[in-house]
Amino acid sequence: MEGNIEAITGALALIGYGLGAIGPGIGIGIVAGNAITAMARQPEMAGTIRTTMFLGIALTEALALIGFVLFFIASAG
Amino acid sequence: MILATECDVVNEVICAPASVNELFEFPTIFTIGGLEFSRTELLMLLAAFIVVALLFFGLRNGRLVPTKFELVMESAVGFVRDGIGRDVIGTDSTKFVPYLLSLFLFILVGNLFEITPFINFPITSRMAIPAFLSLVTYWIFMILGFSRNGFRYLIDTAWPKTVPVGLRWLVGLIELVSVFFLRPLTLAVRLFANMVAGHLMLTLLLASGVIFVAAIPEIGLKGAVGFFWFGLGLFMFLLEILVAVLQAYIFTLLSAIYIESSIHFEH
Repeated sequence: MEGNIEAITGALALIGYGLGAIGPGIGIGIVAGNAITAMARQPEMAGTIRTTMFLGIALTEALALIGFVLFFIASAG
Repeated sequence: MILATECDVVNEVICAPASVNELFEFPTIFTIGGLEFSRTELLMLLAAFIVVALLFFGLRNGRLVPTKFELVMESAVGFVRDGIGRDVIGTDSTKFVPYLLSLFLFILVGNLFEITPFINFPITSRMAIPAFLSLVTYWIFMILGFSRNGFRYLIDTAWPKTVPVGLRWLVGLIELVSVFFLRPLTLAVRLFANMVAGHLMLTLLLASGVIFVAAIPEIGLKGAVGFFWFGLGLFMFLLEILVAVLQAYIFTLLSAIYIESSIHFEH
């Protein structure tokens, strides 16, 4: 019985990470899409926009990365 | 290394290693004064050596008409100095360009080890290396933040004056956690996770492909799935080149952004 519960914990961690990746996935899509729109409208600002885009992606992606860390903690513990 | 020779080709459709750790942990080769050297440490030294050699031989002459190799190295330096340093940090970027350049090249070489034949192991997929690099960046932008702005750096982060009073505690809390805790964590984990995922996928697909194709005489037509795994593995191989360069760029760019946010701290 113990073994089964451990297997479920690992699977739950996997599902949790999958759920946690949805939000950042959508968010990064929005950030990158809008950055492309902005660059197409004002190509001369592309450098600044790219920097800001990566900063935005970094902030958004943080959630997915926290999920990744928590997956390891949850499946190890 | 795996190459799961005990892979169950009859019942499975893909060969998974018994434990993921097998792919990332190597036995100790020799010990110098308590420091255990395994393949990872040797590759790390090799990466550092390659970076130094590239920079030394690429830039020592400074010819008016550079050779092809010198041109590549000069454009790499120019890319970091102008594309990352000057565009992000601004006027006083020259101080940080050496750090950013060595960071970029070391991570790039470390990442590209993933797809180098006979090495095939990205050293940045061991958490110690990205964690240390991100701690160095953390150390730099913390010291800069406190030395340029004094204790105001901490107070203004936790209690931002430009935000309406009602929301100030919430924004302050998010900023505090984000700047002092999440920045170094995500910087390291981003690189680590990308390289781990890439290495896992490549090993799994290419090894499965080879094993199944080799087992065709044994299991017949089912072994043809190996061609699919191998083809997919080759496609991922190309994708991993992109990922390796992009992750090195993003790590360096974010380091520069964090340094910049400590220098020009006004909010």
